[in-house]
Amino acid sequence: MKGALLVLPLAGCVILPRALEQPPNDQTTVALLTGTLGAPLNDIARHPWFAVRRKGEIGWQVYEVGGGGATESDPFHKHYPYENPILHEVWRGDAAEKAADCLEREAPEWIAKLDYRFYPGPNSNTFGDAMLRTCDLHASLPSTSVGKDWRGLIGGGVTSEGTGLQLETPIVGFKIGLKEGVELHILGLSIGVDLWPPAIILPLGPGRLGFADR
Amino acid sequence: MKRAIVVLVVCVASTAHADRWRRARDRWQGGAWLHYELSGMQRVGDPFECDGPGEDCVAEDLVLAGARLHGFLGANASIAYHIGMDIALGSTVRDAGFAYDLALFPVGILVRAGKTSIVGFGAGIGGMGAVGTIDDALTFPVEMTAEIGIGRRVRVLSRARVTYNALAPTRQSAAPSIAFADELDAMLGLRIGRYYDDYGFPSGNGYFVGVSYRELAGGRMLGLTIGYSIDLAMPRRWVAEREAEYDDRGRRRRRVRMPSTQ
Repeated sequence: MKGALLVLPLAGCVILPRALEQPPNDQTTVALLTGTLGAPLNDIARHPWFAVRRKGEIGWQVYEVGGGGATESDPFHKHYPYENPILHEVWRGDAAEKAADCLEREAPEWIAKLDYRFYPGPNSNTFGDAMLRTCDLHASLPSTSVGKDWRGLIGGGVTSEGTGLQLETPIVGFKIGLKEGVELHILGLSIGVDLWPPAIILPLGPGRLGFADR
Repeated sequence: MKRAIVVLVVCVASTAHADRWRRARDRWQGGAWLHYELSGMQRVGDPFECDGPGEDCVAEDLVLAGARLHGFLGANASIAYHIGMDIALGSTVRDAGFAYDLALFPVGILVRAGKTSIVGFGAGIGGMGAVGTIDDALTFPVEMTAEIGIGRRVRVLSRARVTYNALAPTRQSAAPSIAFADELDAMLGLRIGRYYDDYGFPSGNGYFVGVSYRELAGGRMLGLTIGYSIDLAMPRRWVAEREAEYDDRGRRRRRVRMPSTQ
């Protein structure tokens, strides 16, 4: 009962989130961000995009499903129509160069083949997770990125974070790993415990209750 | 010649059938609601007792967290077919027994009122139990759900469920206050949030808090439920407008052009 009372005010709290600051353009940068969908889905569904800026350039090339292609000046703060952006990971230097090449090569092809389905997937979050794995970018999408774990009727493999395994069906699935912790997926909704940084994984708000994912 | 007539009849029939389906599809309206819930319940009154000699299966408390996803679909502005799925996992905290409560409602009916209010009935199958304290039972729940929108910020959430149990002798006729079912589960809550009418689609979301009551395995439990709820639906007026486009025979009405005023 006490635990239940505690969760209410804490719902949606993430400790030490990444600042939405653009790194300098002295190196190539790739950033993974997500933003909320419009109301009334704003608390339960997020959409990802990759922002890529080559060394010395000013604008950001955005890769996502249902948009992208154009150069944006600040996809960290404003990426219409998505709101409340969260910066999940930033890659710089050589790693970012490789990631930028990979996204440039793989993303348009993946999107062209996409047979989009809003729920349970494949959708924009499936794209985000697929690009993370394809381009060897070690990060995780938040649990409110519904569709990130879509693998068809049955599928699995190494997680996008790279330190765990997952097995998925549209009804139920799970993820277990050193950094990922334990995550149970029921009808695309994720609950679990993230081991590092520590947090409870919830299918609501920013997707976790605890420390921000880094 | 015969073949030509058969083909013609089949074509006409299939076209008419397709038209009917298209009209029905045009008139369909639906909606859904999703609850995330966390319930903490405490035993009140007499302790639970199992049947076996010296067997002590008291569940002092029960904490369950889960989701309820329900939807409805119909070709009528007020009455729709209703299905749902409830999934909750948790523990009997003091006894540290893993607990679960699952239910699938494949059959149900729902009545819509106002823009977003609903009263739904559902029947289905499920399972409920807790390791070491509450015997596992195959359940046949019958549930009534009522959600009433009040203004643009408040929504009353309520449900009452009676359950008929199988495979658990200790949980037969195990609700002290009712005789017609084995167990009882109810919740009454208040959601504070927002109502949206974007593009004419009524919807809303918000956090809620409620009181939970359960008669389970021969005892009574009382507790608190907190959660998040979202509801969205197609506008009821949409159906009325669609129906105005068709006559009683299902043919599209001719539009009457208003004479120009200029």
